[in-house]
Amino acid sequence: MASTTTEHPLASVPAPALRRAHFFMRLSRAWDFRFEALARSGQIGRWYSAVGNEIATVTTALALDPGDVISTVHRDLGAILATYLDPTRLAPELFVPDDVTAWDALRPHPRELLHRLAAQVLGRRDGFTRGVDRSFHYGLLKPEWGVRHVGMISHLGSMIPVAAGLALASQQQGTRAVAVGYIGEGATSQGDFHEAMNLAGVMKLPMVLVVENNQYAFSTPLSEQYACEKISDRAAGYGVAGVTVDGGDFAATWAAATAAVKRAREGHGATLFEVTLPRMRGHAEGDGSYDLIPPAEKERFLAMDPLARFEREMTEAGLVDAARVEAVTAVTRAIVEEALAAGMASPEPEMREATRPVFAPGEVADAFARQHAEARS
Amino acid sequence: MSEITYLDAIRRALDEEMERDAAVFLMGQDVAQFGGAFRASKGLFEKYGRLRVINTPLCESGAVGAALGAALAGQRPVVEMQFADFVSCAHNQIVNNVAKTYYRWEQPVPMVLRLPFGGGVGAGPFHSQSPEAWFAHTPGLAVVAPSTARDALGLLKSAIRDPNPVIFMEHRFLYRREKDVLPPGDLTEPLGRARVVRQGTDVTALSWSWTLHECLAAADTLAAEGVSVEVVDLRTLSPLDEETVFASAKKTGKIAVVHEATATAGYGAELVARLADLCFEHLDGPIKRVCYADRPSPYAKKLEQSLMPGRERVVDALRRLARY
Repeated sequence: MASTTTEHPLASVPAPALRRAHFFMRLSRAWDFRFEALARSGQIGRWYSAVGNEIATVTTALALDPGDVISTVHRDLGAILATYLDPTRLAPELFVPDDVTAWDALRPHPRELLHRLAAQVLGRRDGFTRGVDRSFHYGLLKPEWGVRHVGMISHLGSMIPVAAGLALASQQQGTRAVAVGYIGEGATSQGDFHEAMNLAGVMKLPMVLVVENNQYAFSTPLSEQYACEKISDRAAGYGVAGVTVDGGDFAATWAAATAAVKRAREGHGATLFEVTLPRMRGHAEGDGSYDLIPPAEKERFLAMDPLARFEREMTEAGLVDAARVEAVTAVTRAIVEEALAAGMASPEPEMREATRPVFAPGEVADAFARQHAEARS
Repeated sequence: MSEITYLDAIRRALDEEMERDAAVFLMGQDVAQFGGAFRASKGLFEKYGRLRVINTPLCESGAVGAALGAALAGQRPVVEMQFADFVSCAHNQIVNNVAKTYYRWEQPVPMVLRLPFGGGVGAGPFHSQSPEAWFAHTPGLAVVAPSTARDALGLLKSAIRDPNPVIFMEHRFLYRREKDVLPPGDLTEPLGRARVVRQGTDVTALSWSWTLHECLAAADTLAAEGVSVEVVDLRTLSPLDEETVFASAKKTGKIAVVHEATATAGYGAELVARLADLCFEHLDGPIKRVCYADRPSPYAKKLEQSLMPGRERVVDALRRLARY
C-alpha cells in the first residue's frame, strides 16, 4: 500500500523509541485496567485512571535524559514508568540489544522498583512512603540512577512552582537538566500556575509544563474552567513558548516534546505544553463524575483512544504487526499481575511509621525529640 | 571586635553562609541590587551574582514553591518575605508542601524563610503582624525569633545549616536599634535552646524578640521595688526548650508569658498549656499573658501603642503576680 512507505510520520521516530514507548503505554494501560478493577470491587479505596493520557505522559518522559526531573500528579503513571524502568531487563523478549540505552545501565533492576510502586499505591509497608502517604503522593530522588521524581500534594497547582524551582536549581548548578512538570487543565486556574509561569518566563527556566487537558476537572467542563481558546494561548502572556498538540497523535506529540525539551536544555526557556486528551474515565473510579459526561461525548472520546490509535497507525505504517501488539499486551499484563501480587504480599505499614520524625536529623530534630510532646497526646 | 546592628548581623550571617556553602542562595522581592526593603542583603548581589541573589517577581507562593523545588534539587534557599504579613500569600506552600515533605517521603527540605515582622512603628494592619503562631501550629516547621544581634547572627547561621524548614522571625523594630559587639569567626548559636538572660527568684517572664527587651526593662523597674524577675528568652519557639522553661517555672513558681502577637491562640497559649500540664505542682499563681490586644494594628502610632504589650503592662502583670 502507498500509505505504508517510510514517509509515514511515525517513521520519523527512531524504532527503539517506538518500541520503548509502546511498551510503557501498554504497561501503564495494563496497570490502570487492573487497579480500576480493584477499585470497582472495593479492594482499594481510590484509583485515578490515566487511560487516555499515555501518549502525553510517555512521549514527554522519553524525551528526557538521565538527571532530568519530573514532577507528577494523578494521571502520570506512564511518565513514572518510563523514567524509572529499564524495559529491556523487564521484558527482554520484546527488545533487541540496540534498545538498551546508557541510562538503562544506571537504572536498578526494574522488578523490585515495580514491586515497591505497587506496594506504594496500595499503601503497604514496602511502598516508597511505607504507608505514610498514598498513591502518587511521594517522590523518588535517585540521581545515581538518573531518576529524579517529585510527587504531588493534593493542592495540585502548588506543584507548578516546585517544578520551576527544580528548573532553577538546574540553572544554578549549571547541569543543563530539564524539569518537566505535569498538571491537569483544572490546576491552571490556580494562582500558583500564574506565579510559576511568570517565574519561568522572567528567569528563562529550563522547564516544560505539560498540561494534560482531558476536558473535565472532576465534573467541571472546559467552558466553566477558562474562557480562552487554548491554554497555550496564555504562553504569550508569560513570555514562554506555547504549544497545543493532539494527545492522540503520537508522532506530533513526540516531535513537540523533543523540541520543547531541547529548547529548555539549550537555554531558550520554558514551554507551556498543552496536550488535548479524550476524557475516557471519571475523576476517580466510581465517584460518579464519569456519569455526567453525555453519552455521545463518551462514545466520541472512547473512539479517540490514543493507545488504540497508536497501534493502528503503527500497524498501518508496517512498524508492528498484530502478533507484536498481542505480545506487548500479554507481557505487560503479566508484569502488572506479578507486581500487584508482590504489592499485595507486602504487609500493612508498621505502627511506628505514624510517629516517625517530622524533622531530618540535626539540631531541630534533636530539640523536637527533647520535648514531652509525645507524652502530651 | 566591632559593634554591629541586628540588621548587620543578618547580613553577616547570609554572607558567611553563602561564602561557606555554594548551595546557599537568597531569593525574594527587591533583594538583589537594591538589597531588600530593609537592606538586609546589601552588597550580596555584587559579591555572589544573579544566580545566588535572586530578585523574584512580586509573588510569595511562587517563590516559596520554587524554593522547595530548588531545595529538593540540592540547593539551600533562603527566602526573604518583604514583610512577614505577606507570608500569608505563601501559606499553602509552607504548611502543606514544605512542612510535610520530610514526614511524607523523608526528603529533607533545608530552607529558611526570613520574616521581617512586628509593630511599634505605625505601619498599620498589613505591616505590623507577628505571625509566629501560624507556623508553630504546623508539624515540620521550626520557628526561631532572635532578640539580639548576636542571636540574629548565630541562629540564622544555624538555621541555614539545618536540613529542615525554619521560619526565621526578624523584628523590624530591632533591626537598627539592637546592637552587639561581636568578634570575628564562626559564631553559631544552637537551635532549640532558650537562654536565661536575667536570673531572678520571684517571678519568671517568658518572652522572645522585641518584647524580651520590654521584659528586661520591666525587671529593672521591679528590682527597685524588691521584686526579683527571671527573664527567659525562648529564641527558638518551636521546638520548645522545655527543659529551660520548666526549670525557671519550678524555680519561681510564677510565670508571665509576654509576646507581641495577639493573645487568643497565640504561642503563649501553648506555653501556658504545657506549663499547666507539666509544671502544675510547682506553680504558686495563675500564669499571666501579656500580649497584643485581639485587634489588627491600627495605623496611628498612639492607637497602636495603646494595644502593644509594652513595659508598663509587663511591670503591672509581674507586680501582681509577685503578690501571690
